[in-house]
Amino acid sequence: MPGDGMTPRPGYDPASLFSGVIVILLGTLLLLDQADVLELRAEYLLPAVLAAVGGILLACGLAGPPRGRS
Amino acid sequence: MTDTPPPTPQPDQPAPDQPAPEQPPRRLTRSSEDSLIGGVAGGIGRHLNVDPLAIRITFVILTFAGGLGLLAYLLCLIFVPTDDPSAPPLKWGLARTLGAGLLAVAALAILVPDWFWGPQVPLMVVAGAVVYLLVRVVREDGGSHAGRMAARIAIGIVLVALAAGGLVAAAAGAALGGGIAVAGIVIACGVGLVGGAFRGGARWLIVPAIVLALPLGAVAATDLDVRGTWGDRTFQPASTAELAGGYEMGMGSMRVDLRGLDLPPGRTDLRLDIGMGEIKVLVPESVCVTTEAEVGVGVVNTGDGDQGGVDLDIRDKRAVAPGVAQLHVIADVGVGAVLVGDRFASWDRPGGWHDDGFDALQTGTSRAACRGTA
Repeated sequence: MPGDGMTPRPGYDPASLFSGVIVILLGTLLLLDQADVLELRAEYLLPAVLAAVGGILLACGLAGPPRGRS
Repeated sequence: MTDTPPPTPQPDQPAPDQPAPEQPPRRLTRSSEDSLIGGVAGGIGRHLNVDPLAIRITFVILTFAGGLGLLAYLLCLIFVPTDDPSAPPLKWGLARTLGAGLLAVAALAILVPDWFWGPQVPLMVVAGAVVYLLVRVVREDGGSHAGRMAARIAIGIVLVALAAGGLVAAAAGAALGGGIAVAGIVIACGVGLVGGAFRGGARWLIVPAIVLALPLGAVAATDLDVRGTWGDRTFQPASTAELAGGYEMGMGSMRVDLRGLDLPPGRTDLRLDIGMGEIKVLVPESVCVTTEAEVGVGVVNTGDGDQGGVDLDIRDKRAVAPGVAQLHVIADVGVGAVLVGDRFASWDRPGGWHDDGFDALQTGTSRAACRGTA
């Protein structure tokens, strides 16, 4: 209700959306490496994987519980 | 209106006032009337319409066949209900479950002893615990506190097992050349997450995405490729022409013995590739050897000590005098070790270190040979 002081939740699940984008980016990176389009060394690839996992966890943490559990 | 004549009794049907002949019960039950121990033989005999004595004799004979008769009798005693209506209903309690589980384990130990006494026993115990918890949840409909707790434990064990299996499968699939497919599945999970975000969320897809992406990332980072020959192989080329194609293996131990080789003046390249394992190159003392090694995770030693770590790129910077016979080893290892030297040894007999062995690197390659002063 307007004016009740509560922020309306968006019409989508932000955690799923941002996690999906991160997963797609990571999967594309890995796909390009496996297809020998890119030659990624461990010093770049491993931090990228860790950053992706961290980003997903952060997105889930900031988004709160899924719909129907709040 | 016509009167319907009364039905006339058929010759093969009993009269209505006569009792019907006793039919064997459709469901197998233990007999409460013909019972010596638990009514198993009596119940089976009644069910099959045979003399229970024959069933008892069969049980006794099978008991002498590795205890099968006793085992079968006990299983029937546990699982076949009695026909006594006053008996308490069959309850799937812990004692009955544990008893049945132990009997099943004993049966496996008797029937397949070679298979049983192996590493799969702990897995069987875990699987049995999971099955018990799930059965308990199903029977209690998850309503009680114990049922809910059992459900959580069982689901947790199943999820951990699935995740571990997924990690191993993804790593193996990627290392065996299926990295593109695994990456495709990861992208598909991402697309599912984005699509599911507008349909109430699909966070569960995060788990398979991570389970697949982590091992794939590790495999990609180490350039691990285990396609090819597996095992221990020793190569002893007789001429430099045999070195042209190099040697390649998927997994194992690659030993290249070049002591019998007469290298010409100038540089001769030797390409060695192994996905997971070790490469050992044994060279003549008089030959100048330079090494160029890329190792995803592992160790390189060309006589100057171990250089270990992740994503190693070792390049020998030895100065080579003109006209010197030079062997240039180009090694590519996903996970493992590269050892190059003119003396290996092994502790393979009571006399101590055995120089002709091929185990531990004793002496690295000669620097003097590269200067032409060896």
